Amino acid sequence: MLSLASLQNIRPTPLQLLDISYIIVLLPLLLILKVPMLIFAFIALALIKIHKNPAKPIVIMGVFILGVFALFLSQYGAFSFQGLSRLKLFLELLVYILVIVVSMQRLTRVVNFYLLISPILLLALSLFFFHGMMMLIYVIFEIFFLLWMILSHRMGSNLVDSFRASMVMFMYSLPWVVVLFIFFPRISFEHPNYGFRGEVVRHTGHDGTMFLDNKSLLVPSNRIVMEVGFEDAVPPIGTLYFRGSILYIDKKDHWEPLPSYIKRDNQYYYSNQEPKISYKVTLYPTNKKWLYLLDMPSFAVKKASLDKDLISQVKKNIDEPIYYQATSSLSDHYTTQLDRYIYKVTTQFDTNSNRKAYKEAIKIKNSTNDSEKRAKAIIKLFQEQNLTYSLKIGSLDLNNSTDSFLFKQKYGYCVHFASSFVTMARMVGIPSRVVTGYKSDRSNSINNYLPVREKDAHAWAELYIKGAWRRYEATSTASIIEADENTDTNQTQTAKNQEKLNLYLMYIKYKVETWILYYSNIRQLQLLKYAKENPQFVLFFILSILVLVLATFVIISYFRRPICGDVALCTIQPLLKHLKKIGYKRERDETLHQYLQRYAEDNPNNKYILEIDRYYEKIYYGEDKSKESVQALKRVVREAINAKD
Amino acid sequence: MKSLLKFVQTYRKVYQHATIFSAVVVVLLFGFFLQAYMHDFNLVYITLFFVFSLAFSAGPISVSNLIFLKSRYVHLGRVFANEQSSISIEIENQSSTPSWAIKLYHDDESVEMMQIKGDSSVIAKLPFTPTKRGVFVHEGCYLESKYPLSTARLTIPIGVSYEGIAYPTPKGKSLRSFISNQEDIYGEEREFDGLIEYDGSQKLSHIHWASVAKGDISVKTFSKEQEVPKLVFDFYKAGKDDEARLSQLTLWVLECERLNAPFTIKMPHKVLKSPQEDIDVILSLLAKY
Repeated sequence: MLSLASLQNIRPTPLQLLDISYIIVLLPLLLILKVPMLIFAFIALALIKIHKNPAKPIVIMGVFILGVFALFLSQYGAFSFQGLSRLKLFLELLVYILVIVVSMQRLTRVVNFYLLISPILLLALSLFFFHGMMMLIYVIFEIFFLLWMILSHRMGSNLVDSFRASMVMFMYSLPWVVVLFIFFPRISFEHPNYGFRGEVVRHTGHDGTMFLDNKSLLVPSNRIVMEVGFEDAVPPIGTLYFRGSILYIDKKDHWEPLPSYIKRDNQYYYSNQEPKISYKVTLYPTNKKWLYLLDMPSFAVKKASLDKDLISQVKKNIDEPIYYQATSSLSDHYTTQLDRYIYKVTTQFDTNSNRKAYKEAIKIKNSTNDSEKRAKAIIKLFQEQNLTYSLKIGSLDLNNSTDSFLFKQKYGYCVHFASSFVTMARMVGIPSRVVTGYKSDRSNSINNYLPVREKDAHAWAELYIKGAWRRYEATSTASIIEADENTDTNQTQTAKNQEKLNLYLMYIKYKVETWILYYSNIRQLQLLKYAKENPQFVLFFILSILVLVLATFVIISYFRRPICGDVALCTIQPLLKHLKKIGYKRERDETLHQYLQRYAEDNPNNKYILEIDRYYEKIYYGEDKSKESVQALKRVVREAINAKD
Repeated sequence: MKSLLKFVQTYRKVYQHATIFSAVVVVLLFGFFLQAYMHDFNLVYITLFFVFSLAFSAGPISVSNLIFLKSRYVHLGRVFANEQSSISIEIENQSSTPSWAIKLYHDDESVEMMQIKGDSSVIAKLPFTPTKRGVFVHEGCYLESKYPLSTARLTIPIGVSYEGIAYPTPKGKSLRSFISNQEDIYGEEREFDGLIEYDGSQKLSHIHWASVAKGDISVKTFSKEQEVPKLVFDFYKAGKDDEARLSQLTLWVLECERLNAPFTIKMPHKVLKSPQEDIDVILSLLAKY
């Protein structure tokens, strides 16, 4: 086992230090390397291990050819000029090239400038691929580790000395990092997207439209849209639907809301017999007007409208965080009158498209006149198709998207389920529409706190049955979908404890993510606002920073303290420091014995000095390292320091 | 507090020069900022802040690595013109913490010390080749350190100088060659042992005349009796020009010292005699001629 004592004897060469650094920075990147490149990396590693002398040019050329071949195989299919515009692919290519070049240079055994800076380049590249909590911990470890390796090289010392020096330096920089992190202005794109402008990547999230095409890859985003604090516990998962917008018009490749000239009447209160819950929402900038309210909202939020579709909007786009309190009844339906125009819009479908679905719909329509039974028949039809929920979809026939999804592709995500369900509901004669918003996952909550993320964006269907708009969860008809019901009753105590622990860990993770990974200018403004409103917070903040500085200095002092190689020397160190402090310096070439004797002659009142000298001789030269002798030496040293000279 | 005071007092004496790695840090900071700006990844911001803070904290660490070092020249030994010797400088670390990666520089010569432990000193031997004989002043030494991150090269002058004498370059004919070209150069070296009766075989010069006066004929015996050269070096005969003469004389002086042979040098206005005069005094006089 690698012990501290063994580290004291290790003095790695510059090449060894570089090798260790490369292994550390390459570890996370191994997760993104394709198999051919991984094989190449291991071959290169084996060659580096084998070659104790600089490799011959032919070997280096062989590594180059092998690397290019591995690169070609790794990027085969994904590689195109169009693909290169995708940042992720481009970065992956950079990583591959860097791995090849570094392997070639390493085989020459010549430490050049590029070999020295490449670990930092690889670290920077890995930051493009990972930004979770694990990576946060790993990045801090990587920074410390690279610092350790740099200092080991610079100091030419053993690993313990360089570790101590790097710890000191790391601690010096820590308060600066904290202060910079909190106050450094976050000037960035308002909507950070993964990749460069023009890239055909689309995030999850609600934006008021619903595309069915597969032109872009849907990237689940963990960005928090809003934080919801319930007065009581977080409601069950099947009820956590936050309404965003209603889509009425099927445009084949996407769904649209009603034209802007059609005004829906506003109302401020909606009566419902279901129990009501209150909650507070912090909504982060969306650059849209929607407020997300839990199904079904009971009141209009202050300074916002609530229309007949229970859609809440503010007048201006939301470009700064807003806070609102809302009340909703946890119901899956609400009663309302259906006017003629809405009836017309919500029953409209293209008779020339989706012929197969239409044929099935006619069968259902003819089997019963009851709308509820027709809806159930549609659910049954969906269930029979063995549909799969997936964010990665194949190419749909957009002219017959329902047919294509239900009977051909058979996999898609919420928008495909909702769109097909609404289309079929209309075909069987039920007024229906698509509702988009967020459906949250209770497993992400702790206590009464529920964060809603962009990846929670959802679409579901609403069918007008028996005088009420009723929610139908079309996605639940998928054959492969994660169960979301809690099974508390069947859990053992250990499982419950694990879940509890998990929840707390998630809560910590959530706090870390909120305050570190997703810390933004909004949070900065929040902090400033809070500081303005609570002057004692400023004092608390300054005190916290001072405590941090103090803690780092304690750690620095610990790692800066000189290491004593011998127990006798260690024991009398306080006395030597004391003598130095009072101005009694040890002369050049003076032995410790002579020094103590001189002091004893000059200060005959301090009777302990000669005793110390005797004990020191006994322990150091007599090799009597017994506990009693050391304790006795400690005692006389203490008394000598306390004695008046 | 004392260290802080020393730091403030000495800080201005330290000269800082940027290295290529400081350019790397600047490029890294800019690159990380762009990456953070474009993608708003706090991980990148954290890395950026760490790089900045580490580079920032490297400043005081590198300064305190140097300012507690106190240097002084120690006895050099003999130094000859145009011959490589070494200048010994003792570097004392007055701090309780070690100093790392220190280089002692003088012109193009340097000595590296990877560690100078706290409250201790090391002696660095700096290569030194005086170009001419005579008094020289060794100054302009400075300590350099790139510790900890190599982003800056810090130098601090050691602030002391050394005045010494470079003896003439010892070269020319060997002492053996000088002796072989001389006539009657041998004297005698004897150590009296006692008296024995004269039997006719002994040298007449060994007869003890005091015993003859008493009626006995005794001869002196010696425990050691050998011929030794009488070494008299003449300045003007030692070489063609002054420099050649001084070099030749220096060589002979050193050889005589090695053989423990007494010698005499006839200088233009002075006669130098060994062992009456110390070898170093004689060499100094030759150096200053």
